[in-house]
Amino acid sequence: MKMKYDVVIVGSGPAGSTTARFAAENGAKVLVIERRAEVGVPVLCGEGISRKIDDWKMLEGKRWIAGKMDGARIFSPDKTCVTLSADQAGNETGYVVYRDIFDQELARLAIKAGAEYMMNTKAIGLIKDGDKIKGVKAKHFDEELDIECSIVVAADGVDSKVAQWAGLDTRLDPKDLESCCQYTLVNVEVKDAYCEFYLGKEIAPGGYVWVFPKSKGVANVGIGILASLSESGMAKNLLDRFIENDPRLAKGKSIRFLAGAVPVSNPAKETVDDNLILIGDAARHVDPITGGGLTHCLEGGKIAGETIAKAVKSKNFSKEFLSEYETRWKEAFGQKIKRNYLVKELMLDMDDKTFNKLAHALESVKFDEISTHGLVKEVAKHLPISTKLNALIKHRKEIREIKKK
Amino acid sequence: MGKPKAKVDRQKCLACCGCISVCPQNAITWIGYKAQVDPEKCISCAICIRTCPVGAISGEAL
Repeated sequence: MKMKYDVVIVGSGPAGSTTARFAAENGAKVLVIERRAEVGVPVLCGEGISRKIDDWKMLEGKRWIAGKMDGARIFSPDKTCVTLSADQAGNETGYVVYRDIFDQELARLAIKAGAEYMMNTKAIGLIKDGDKIKGVKAKHFDEELDIECSIVVAADGVDSKVAQWAGLDTRLDPKDLESCCQYTLVNVEVKDAYCEFYLGKEIAPGGYVWVFPKSKGVANVGIGILASLSESGMAKNLLDRFIENDPRLAKGKSIRFLAGAVPVSNPAKETVDDNLILIGDAARHVDPITGGGLTHCLEGGKIAGETIAKAVKSKNFSKEFLSEYETRWKEAFGQKIKRNYLVKELMLDMDDKTFNKLAHALESVKFDEISTHGLVKEVAKHLPISTKLNALIKHRKEIREIKKK
Repeated sequence: MGKPKAKVDRQKCLACCGCISVCPQNAITWIGYKAQVDPEKCISCAICIRTCPVGAISGEAL
């Protein structure tokens, strides 16, 4: 069957649906294809998100919220606790969400704006005329589809096939990938609405364990470890050990177990080409310190959607025209990702003793900004001189580059 | 006999796509929502084996 749209978005995650919404709202004819049978399922996420999303007013209602968080606790290897609490800063730190409902709500808003969705529809290749991208080949159940379009959006995640078909290198260095797994545990005794993070080489090499309370007696308990420091099955083994040793969690029963891979790299070097845009995990729009990417999906998706609509109006789908998207996401969060990538590299060089020392210094600090940025600023003040010097020497070039901008 | 090639245990694979992302040879693809290694492309580097969060990949001598 032949079909024709202005834009085909491959993937119905938060980045895909947000792009779909803003492209459709501004007049583009949009199709989203999703290989799975249901938007947002299976959930592959820790489900934490900053309350920044409130300011953007992109979501309606509250059904997608599992819990409002009062703050966060970060535990150093010797269990010293650094608390970031909402009342110190006079605002909330974030939400734990139901990602399935969250994603479905974003899809609903995109459909309301005029976007079309096709489930059970797997992209199997690009339609090309020479090098020029002319559409997407897909399979809907057994039926092969040729979907012509002017722009293809790669919203197909960390292992983006679309980007690969377009000739981009999607491989990640193991030091730039977090290997993750997570239980949703019920019958746990997690009392207050604090997101917890546990650091340490013995706990989660190159990553952390998280405990995110979801609702009464329910919590997401997960782990991310750096693939370069991992051994076969290590993530699950370390997570199981952590749960066994935490009396609040040990009696919990799992109602969901999932595994995931999170890019903690610099953003993709190229996120636009002629007739092509990369968004979300495919564009590596993830904070390399926290592994969080939801806010970038929404912010970047809006920018992508608006750029696409403009391109449709001016009938210009060149890399040059679409580069407006790249310029705008770099302004919005690109610099932050680059900076946090440097901090991630710096943290990898730090041993447990340094983490403990830092935690002792920060234990009683009142944070006036609850964000990774606020935390990094405080950490920077307390870092040992030797660590700062090492960082400067090792990352001289990158630091200079970021300062220039 | 050559070096052992990576092999995915389809029962254990949770389709996280970590192995696919780190494979330097692009030798791993999805087959029916599970990772599958192409033994022709596999160079026995074992990066995927170490990356797998649930231990679903092992080396298999051919």
